[in-house]
Amino acid sequence: MDHQPHSDLIHPGHVACPGCGAAIAMKFALRAMGPKTMVVIPACCWGVIAGPYPQSSLKVPVLQTAFATAGAAAGGLRAALDMTGDSETVVMAWAGDGGTFDIGLQSLSGAVERNEDILYVCYDNEAYMNTGVQRSSSTPYGARTTTTPGLGWKRSRKKNIVEILAAHRIPYAATASIAFPEDMIRKFEKARHLKGGSRFLHVYATCPTGWAIPSEQSISIARLAVHCNMFPLYEVENGVDYTLNYQGNVEVDSYLKAQGRFRHLNEDEIMRIQTMVDEDWDLLMQKVSR
Amino acid sequence: MKQVLEGSHAVSEAVRLARVQVVSAYPITPQTHIVEAISEHCSSGRLAARFMCVESEHSAMASVIGAASGGVRTFTATSGQGLAYMHELLHWASGARLPIVMAEVNRALAPGWNIWVDQTDSLSQRDTGWIQFYCEDGQEVFDTTLMAYRLAEEINLPIMVILDAFFLSHTYEPVDIPDQELVDRFVPPMEPKIRLDTADPHALGQMVPPGAYMEMRYDIQQAMERVPFLYRQMEGIFAELFGRAYGDVEAVQCDDADIVLVVSGTATGTCRQALSDLRSQGQKVGMLKIKMFRPFPDESIRRALNGAAKIAVVDRNCSFGAGGIFAQEIRSTLCNLENGPPVFSYIAGLGGRDITVDTLEEIYYRTKALEQPDMQSVWIGLEPET
Amino acid sequence: MAGKIEKDREGRLHISRSSISSRINKTGSWRYLKPVYAGRTAPCSAACPAGEDVPHIEHLASQGQFRGALDTILKENPFPAVCGHVCFHPCESACNRSCLDAPLAINAIERFVGCSDTEEKMLPLIQTVPPNGRRVAVIGSGPSGLSAAYFFCRLGYRCDVYESEKEPGGLLRWGIPSYRLPAAILKHEIKRIENLGAQIYCGRKVSASFLRTAEERYHAIFIGCGLARPIRMQIAGDVQALDGLTFLKDIRNGNRGAFSGVSAIIGGGNAAIDVARSLVRLGSHPIILYRRRVEDMPAFELEIGMAQQEGVDIRELTTPVRMDKSARGIALRLQKMATDGFETDSGRARVIPIRGERETLPVQQVFTAIGAEAENPWQQPKNGSGSILHLSHCTLTTVGFPIARGGDLVNQVLSVSDAVASGKQAAMAIDSYFQGGWASVEKRLADCRVGQGPALSLESYLMNDVSHQRHPQLVGYHDINTAYFLPADRAEPMVAGPKERRASFSEYRSDFTTRSAADEAGRCFNCGICNDCDNCRLFCPETAVSVEDTRRIDMDYCKGCGVCVVECPRGAMTMEEAEHETGS
Repeated sequence: MDHQPHSDLIHPGHVACPGCGAAIAMKFALRAMGPKTMVVIPACCWGVIAGPYPQSSLKVPVLQTAFATAGAAAGGLRAALDMTGDSETVVMAWAGDGGTFDIGLQSLSGAVERNEDILYVCYDNEAYMNTGVQRSSSTPYGARTTTTPGLGWKRSRKKNIVEILAAHRIPYAATASIAFPEDMIRKFEKARHLKGGSRFLHVYATCPTGWAIPSEQSISIARLAVHCNMFPLYEVENGVDYTLNYQGNVEVDSYLKAQGRFRHLNEDEIMRIQTMVDEDWDLLMQKVSR
Repeated sequence: MKQVLEGSHAVSEAVRLARVQVVSAYPITPQTHIVEAISEHCSSGRLAARFMCVESEHSAMASVIGAASGGVRTFTATSGQGLAYMHELLHWASGARLPIVMAEVNRALAPGWNIWVDQTDSLSQRDTGWIQFYCEDGQEVFDTTLMAYRLAEEINLPIMVILDAFFLSHTYEPVDIPDQELVDRFVPPMEPKIRLDTADPHALGQMVPPGAYMEMRYDIQQAMERVPFLYRQMEGIFAELFGRAYGDVEAVQCDDADIVLVVSGTATGTCRQALSDLRSQGQKVGMLKIKMFRPFPDESIRRALNGAAKIAVVDRNCSFGAGGIFAQEIRSTLCNLENGPPVFSYIAGLGGRDITVDTLEEIYYRTKALEQPDMQSVWIGLEPET
Repeated sequence: MAGKIEKDREGRLHISRSSISSRINKTGSWRYLKPVYAGRTAPCSAACPAGEDVPHIEHLASQGQFRGALDTILKENPFPAVCGHVCFHPCESACNRSCLDAPLAINAIERFVGCSDTEEKMLPLIQTVPPNGRRVAVIGSGPSGLSAAYFFCRLGYRCDVYESEKEPGGLLRWGIPSYRLPAAILKHEIKRIENLGAQIYCGRKVSASFLRTAEERYHAIFIGCGLARPIRMQIAGDVQALDGLTFLKDIRNGNRGAFSGVSAIIGGGNAAIDVARSLVRLGSHPIILYRRRVEDMPAFELEIGMAQQEGVDIRELTTPVRMDKSARGIALRLQKMATDGFETDSGRARVIPIRGERETLPVQQVFTAIGAEAENPWQQPKNGSGSILHLSHCTLTTVGFPIARGGDLVNQVLSVSDAVASGKQAAMAIDSYFQGGWASVEKRLADCRVGQGPALSLESYLMNDVSHQRHPQLVGYHDINTAYFLPADRAEPMVAGPKERRASFSEYRSDFTTRSAADEAGRCFNCGICNDCDNCRLFCPETAVSVEDTRRIDMDYCKGCGVCVVECPRGAMTMEEAEHETGS
């Protein structure tokens, strides 16, 4: 690791589950972002991890807001900082997949269409984990959740949030993974310095609790997701310039079989998922090679 | 300097002169003229503020909450459906003790779509912890908006300045607009009590367990209870600088009145005329205009109404299953008084239907004719079924 | 309505605003497993008879810290350059990296590190115990004796080494050919031992009477004089056979002699190979005759391969039955053998003669290299007198005072590194005896095992505390997180081709360059040790890992998630059951 660790901007004693990928993600993010950061957190796991009153688990200012409002609140806070002459502090919205893909999509879209000078981070654990593992539009095809249980496992595909953001032609959108810390920290640093417009980072954040995997596998499952192209690592600049950061070459079945939320899938269903991953990969490659 | 302005622009002028710093706007008839005017002020540089064209009212409130948390003076405006859409965030703004000021143009709620005056929208939000002021005319709108900033920043509660759709928002009246310098004396630059600061990092708005939440709620209630006193103080200063004052209520000829009509909004102006007519007919009638609805001005109301024989409340709103809302609140204020007057509840003028002098006279004579009020509110001016 | 709420009425708002950090919440109470920096043993270290701490050596070498690497080797083995030349590297056979791409070239790196020591003083930066006033006599200056002397000196003993030949080194000097181990390399490393205080007396053959009077002058004796009497074939005409070991010694002495024509070498061990390869260089065509199969030959596989490349023929399942003089030299009568499907006790194929299958092989000369035995009875322990302790690489007796016997005397050892182990074990055993008595020796040594043994660590012995014991568990390939390692080719210095090799007695293995040695060392997984890659601290969701002088985990907050253990690339951490140590 080239990256020099410094004193982290996150306190221990927070109540994230053991092995929580979102906690690791925040740690890496703040390493890149530094102390001149304000974090806007809507309802999500981090709303609780940030500390119940009167505790705070972060060493930077935190503004918790209502579920749907991360994009709007972050934009408003940015406006205030601009009006008080603070051009150094970066406003970072930090929302889960529910607050980004579903209930928060409108305010996110509104904020980035206005090209608000914010960094919006979606840490994605692929369900409403804070409320007990209900499905979101980020839950992948094939997964069981408490609202897609048993034979009713999720039959719709995961929404492609980066493509949605790319369609807004924002300066920078990218995926990142906690299993690739150097790549992730590089992207946060890049996003931090790209002031003046909207930056979006989609971070893969393992949830051992919700996905039914042992806590110690948190990083290895994240690595496997990238290796089997379930979660490709790439960047999109201005909505049109695609850069691929990693090419995986492993089949999906080891990824699926390692997780309780997919354990019910039979070989045909796994093959179907492989096909879907391959299709999505082909689409991405077309954009990369443009 | 006196200008002829529509009510919307009385708001926008006040916002400009108060040197608001962040404005969030989402269009909805009939508040749009407010934000359009402010947008022009911003783009021309007359007002040095960030103007955010948000994509919904929910985001309008969310963005001013974000901005106010950054310690700046904020403004937004809405009406009807838009206010209803912001509902959860109205609770948020007061719970976060942010000094946000919002212009709310009273408009009916759909379905059916109705863009005209009705108070149900703002009154539906009476539990959200916002201070509510109902305005009679353009001057009052302007003055109240200025006072709202000073009061909000003193007490850290958000304030709604409420004006009737079209009858006030789109009606041109002479409004005295003072100089910037004078306004600056009344509304100095904001000294925020809440401000996120990287030099002193804290978290705001976190999860609060049962052991701590109630005390925060009590703090809000206590703040509300201080408002009437603070408002009176502040109006004193306002009167010194600008020569005008309104009080939390205005009692007109109540001292010797048998029947007092209770009104708010533009209907007040009509009522002043009705009062004059009825008095000339020998009727001992008085009027109580309610300006401050939240906090509900119990003391002022009791003082004004205790001597009357009957109270007739004119509600331009309805809480279905319970009736006119002003009436309910007045009843509860008066209920523990020994020999308190009976309260007759009337509902009129919903969805922009006019409240005329005749309407008010009808209400007066009806009240006079009855011993006891109905349990339910009486609806005035309904078209007969065919 | 005043209430009991304490508030500053002048503007302090009672809102959801933080005032303390989450540190008051001691989440360490959540865990039921806890991570530990276990320092497990690498399989290479356990396979090394000397118990070298290979992962540390490689880690230092990979960073160009060759002095540090050398010192680390010297903690357990006084002969890095020698072993780098002649060791059969069981470490490489155990190397976990072989499951990913290819084992680490540990031997070549050791050779590089050993030969990089050019300092005049050559005093190693290693721990020695202050002199304890005791004197030890070491008999024989072969690898086991010299090793014993080295470790005795480090343990604070005054050491006198008695060597019968004119120069020290034993088989290192007089047995192994110079193309495998040049004399200068050996001399350099012997000098290091002398600089530690060992006195070597050459030309002093020790007799039985020495033992009788030794007790007056010495507190202990180590006998490592090897097997000086070659074993004869005991067939008709065997007096015409030349002794292989003598032949090798003559060459090392400068008397090469001329050998042309065909030479037959009887035997299958390294000595036989050494004889054969030397004969090739002297112009003869050697044929090795071995009674079992090639795969049963005790010689190192690599050596057998080299020999064959250089033109040495090997005829398996052949044994000599008589030798007759002939016109051109010797007519060697051979008996063909066959396996009978069974194995001997040592695991080699059992062979029986094939009736009627005999032939005569005409050769110029016949060499025997079928082993040797102790020259004098006192070199072997007497049964029945006093206590006797059979350790893996030496025996310890106390008849009045402690005598240890090691090296070839005790084991039919194949390798120099086993001889090193022998000297170390003897020194540690005798020192334990002096410190804690006879009964304490086995336990004390067992506490110093590397892995499950038999290799011992002097480092552990000197530390004498539990925290520095080498962990008994070995790191397996499944403990390695291969996501952190990219396959890479094994680098090895070049070896000259057979034609070039045959031409002289010069060394034929090149050395690493500094860069390539460091690069190859960088392929090491560093199994079981922490090399400060910092993954644990990087990934910990609780930021509970800190580094001051040591790496530690804050048990007030560690939730026992286990991510650190899985992401440790080299199995240096384990999860253990947790008893709750936090105050909460």
